[in-house]
Amino acid sequence: MNTCGEIRESIGAWLDGELSGAEADAVRSHLETCLICGEERRQLENLNRVMKDIFESEDFRLDVEPFWHGLRQRIAAKRPWHADLAEWAGPFIRAPSFAWAVPAVIVLLIGALYFGSILPGWGVLAPRNNFATVESIDAYGRNVALLREHESKTTVIWLYQNSDNENEGAGETSDKGPAF
Amino acid sequence: MVEASDWELVQKCQAGDMSAFEELVSRYQQKVFTVILGLLRNREDALEVAQETFFRAYRKIKSFQGGSSFYTWLYRIAVNIAIDAQRRQKRNPLDFRESMDGVMEERNEFAKDPFADVHDKELRVKLVQSINDLTPEHRAVIVLRTLEGLSYKDIGELLGCSEGTVMSRLHYARKKLQEKLRAFL
Repeated sequence: MNTCGEIRESIGAWLDGELSGAEADAVRSHLETCLICGEERRQLENLNRVMKDIFESEDFRLDVEPFWHGLRQRIAAKRPWHADLAEWAGPFIRAPSFAWAVPAVIVLLIGALYFGSILPGWGVLAPRNNFATVESIDAYGRNVALLREHESKTTVIWLYQNSDNENEGAGETSDKGPAF
Repeated sequence: MVEASDWELVQKCQAGDMSAFEELVSRYQQKVFTVILGLLRNREDALEVAQETFFRAYRKIKSFQGGSSFYTWLYRIAVNIAIDAQRRQKRNPLDFRESMDGVMEERNEFAKDPFADVHDKELRVKLVQSINDLTPEHRAVIVLRTLEGLSYKDIGELLGCSEGTVMSRLHYARKKLQEKLRAFL
């Protein structure tokens, strides 16, 4: 059993003679009993009639001779190279069509990841190397360690008291070394 | 003398016979112009688009393999160019509305029948405005169906969509028109 909503969606196609036998029968029998859908049919018929009147009342005649003359001249004229290029590229650069942008971005991202995997450090998402250097020097009986982190330009200095060599002279090196 | 078929003329044209193309133009120029004018509702624009249609057809005729009828192929070019032109018109709606109103007044469309009542006149004016407010795709199905009387299948072939899509577009286009004009229908 078709609802009024379903029937109303089909009335236009039914008036156009585009429904199959069973569908057309369903619409016809429904319209015989439903006043609301009958009103919908009346409005659509009226709309179609007025639209047809409007289109038919217009002057669609074309002046054939000037039309062909203008067309022949256009065909004979040599087109500039940019007109050919614009015609060729037209479908690709049509302004409202940005559908290509999404796959293009995906391809670029995949490319960046792939590039990064074969050339470490070059990919967009490749991990950045945060190098740090550790130096250990002895000076005046103390063990000194320096950690320089280049990314943040941070330097950490450790000072270790060497109890064994505390009272020894300058220039002596600890046997144990810094405990880090 | 037996009239050459479209396909025979196309083949001659592909071989460089300009008179064959002239014959194709004379067969279809009026029909193509009628559809385009129905879509654009502006004579000057329609003339330009009709000429562009045949110009492109001439340039691309070598690629036409006869998969569809020449008429369908030509209509498809015309409708696509006209829909693009409509989009440009939408970007300049004021210019378009003014030119459309001018054409209607110039031709005195609404004064043809001296006994036509105010209600009918108003309905016609509103309907023309409402058709112009439709999207290019909706306007195309309305014109091709109402003006040309094409079947849903033929409209689908021209617009490159299914019969179901044509049915759906027609339904929504009519619904929009009906909603705007309910008080007049």
